[in-house]
Amino acid sequence: MTTATLPETPAAGRGSPALWALTALGAAGMAATYAVAGPERFWADWLIGFVILVCVALGALFIVALQHITGATWSVPLRRVPERLAALTPWIVPVALVALLSLPVLFSWTQPGAAADPVLALKTSWLNYPFFIARLAVCVAVWVWSYRVLVTGSVRQDRTRDPRATVTMRRYSPVFMILLALTLTAFAFDWVSSLQASWYSDIFGVYLFAGAVTSSIAATALLTIYLMRRGRLAGVTGDHLYNLGGLLFGFTIFWGYIAFSQYLLQWYADMPGEVFWFRERTTGAMAGVFALLGIGHFAVPFLGLITRNSKKSWKRLCWVSVWVLFMEIVDVFWLVSPIQGHGLHLGWPEAAFAAFFLAGGLLVVTRALRMGEDTPVGDPFLADGLHFHLR
Amino acid sequence: MPESVFGVVGLFDSADALMAAIPEVRARGFRNLHAYTPYPVHGMDEALDLPKSKLGVLVFLIGSIACVAAFTFEWWTSTRAYPLMTGGKPYNGWPGWVLVMVESTILFSTLTTGIGMLFAFNKLPYFGNPMLGSEAIASVTRDRFALMAASDRGALDVAGATEALRAVGAAALEVVYEPDHARPGVGWWVRTATTIVAASAVAGFGTWWAIRAYPTIKPMVNMEVQPRLDAQRPDAFFANGRGMQRPPDGTVPRASVPILDTVPDDAGKSLMNPLPVTAAVLARGRAQFNLHCAVCHDRLGTGHPWLDSTYQAFPVDLQTGPIRAAADGYLYWVISQGIRTMPGYAADISPDDRWAVVRYIRALQRSQDAPARDLK
Repeated sequence: MTTATLPETPAAGRGSPALWALTALGAAGMAATYAVAGPERFWADWLIGFVILVCVALGALFIVALQHITGATWSVPLRRVPERLAALTPWIVPVALVALLSLPVLFSWTQPGAAADPVLALKTSWLNYPFFIARLAVCVAVWVWSYRVLVTGSVRQDRTRDPRATVTMRRYSPVFMILLALTLTAFAFDWVSSLQASWYSDIFGVYLFAGAVTSSIAATALLTIYLMRRGRLAGVTGDHLYNLGGLLFGFTIFWGYIAFSQYLLQWYADMPGEVFWFRERTTGAMAGVFALLGIGHFAVPFLGLITRNSKKSWKRLCWVSVWVLFMEIVDVFWLVSPIQGHGLHLGWPEAAFAAFFLAGGLLVVTRALRMGEDTPVGDPFLADGLHFHLR
Repeated sequence: MPESVFGVVGLFDSADALMAAIPEVRARGFRNLHAYTPYPVHGMDEALDLPKSKLGVLVFLIGSIACVAAFTFEWWTSTRAYPLMTGGKPYNGWPGWVLVMVESTILFSTLTTGIGMLFAFNKLPYFGNPMLGSEAIASVTRDRFALMAASDRGALDVAGATEALRAVGAAALEVVYEPDHARPGVGWWVRTATTIVAASAVAGFGTWWAIRAYPTIKPMVNMEVQPRLDAQRPDAFFANGRGMQRPPDGTVPRASVPILDTVPDDAGKSLMNPLPVTAAVLARGRAQFNLHCAVCHDRLGTGHPWLDSTYQAFPVDLQTGPIRAAADGYLYWVISQGIRTMPGYAADISPDDRWAVVRYIRALQRSQDAPARDLK
């Protein structure tokens, strides 16, 4: 275990120049997108980045809370990894504020003709500017507050070594789970479903949640492997990776189950008010993306992690995790992009947005890699976790 | 005949002690080691250098076969053997079969796991392991952990194995001998067969007798047994003892005027539309038309169905001359009784609503061929 301690010098927190350059390049491409490809493309791509950011950040908080709520000891040595990943949470605030500007451009219920639509007219009590913005404010406040309790509290425990902090986090975790279920569902309905507000799917919040947790476990596995390979997570072994791989495997099946359930019900009922949403996403240029999602988001990680040894092998877990993160991007692209009409809206603007959000996110996460110790040294269960073996 | 040695066994107090002893005994040249523990000890496979279990491969294979078999069965029944259109879906409606495929995969994987582990790999029911005849096994089923240096291809240095186990701290050392592998005689087969037949007979006759002696117990019969008239059943309530009464002679039930004509053209001559042409009647007709008729005849009655072409429906264009010329009674008869592939709607649309639909069809026809005075 390294003995690097807080506080860091400010110079050490600047991050890699390559990442800064990539972020700047992405930002320039985004400005060009607005000017050349038009505001609709710009806001759709911004929304994709926003949704993925929320998914990964909240998924990381979910993993942290899951460990507290189950009283897991095996995960204590690597719990700092999802905690650091959750450092993306405060960055939801600026990205969400910018995203508010997309409301008049993208969302069907803000368009002039919305009041005449009989379905949308019934939803005006829920879909109106003041209530929509109030919901966003409440959601973001809950998320940032939860981040403060679960992550900032855990990092502070490195110094204080106060076991009562563990009790606080364990007591807050069930509350967070309920709040997460409500806020993430509200977020999914507001920011993804209501793009085409006449469509409804009750299961949609769970769908986004499944993708969020899957991608966060993948990101956690990648960061854990990165730190392990650098010798910064002494005591974390293939047995810990086995559990991470098991979680990733399980949530991959969960995502497939939820995604297919949502598709099957609407395919079977074939109601014109519902199937138009899937029709736009499964025909024409999106048919390939849909097939890629079914195979890539479910079959590939399922077969990639099905054997016992594959979950222990850091190489296998590494490439499956990279692939799962890529599929999460494809998933959100598949959800949001078709609102721009027929065809595949994929080109240099999407590359620019990907560069901005990926490099920017990596800057945040690499900065967070200096937050606190590499393992939660103040947690009274750390020793149990370090001695965790499958036998 | 001298008994041949199966192995030398010793007991340990904990799983950790057992795990620590294994490499040391192995280092002394005893490769064929067996361990007996009261519960599964993780890492034992690696320590004993056991071959990787084939159970996972077997489960994957059987699960995959079950998945493909379920698909094939659904595909064959739905597209080849009994191609029935369901809910407007294509014959090859594979998304609906995925549930069956998943459940079959899970069922057969689970059965393969259980049956494969117990019977194929653990060879149950097999009580011939010589260890079961040892003194040590009683302790193993309680709280001790046994390690056996077993004979390798019939050869074992008994003194050396005993010494090796004692050196690593094993207690209660014991030599276990092979049993004599006599084949079961005729008497064993007779006993076994008799037992199976007797058990089957007891179970079968017992069930038969229990069903006859104790009819099905119904804990709550309130819904099933209640004072009511059953159709087609005798009943003491009415004087004539029937459960179902005929209407009195010369009467008809309200809102179910029977259609006596057997041909629509006759109905066109005998039936008159009782409803006036008012906005309310037309609105009533439009609601029923858009609900029941528009799916095939389109909202304007032009006969362009909204259904997929696989439905193979060729609805009549209500704007054509013959339909315009047909009497109201003709249309009413067709809506009620159906014609060609069109089903009757008597059960779905009330008589007055059917007459309103007829009025609305007239309005649609006029809307598509309006005289000049309508366009003022």
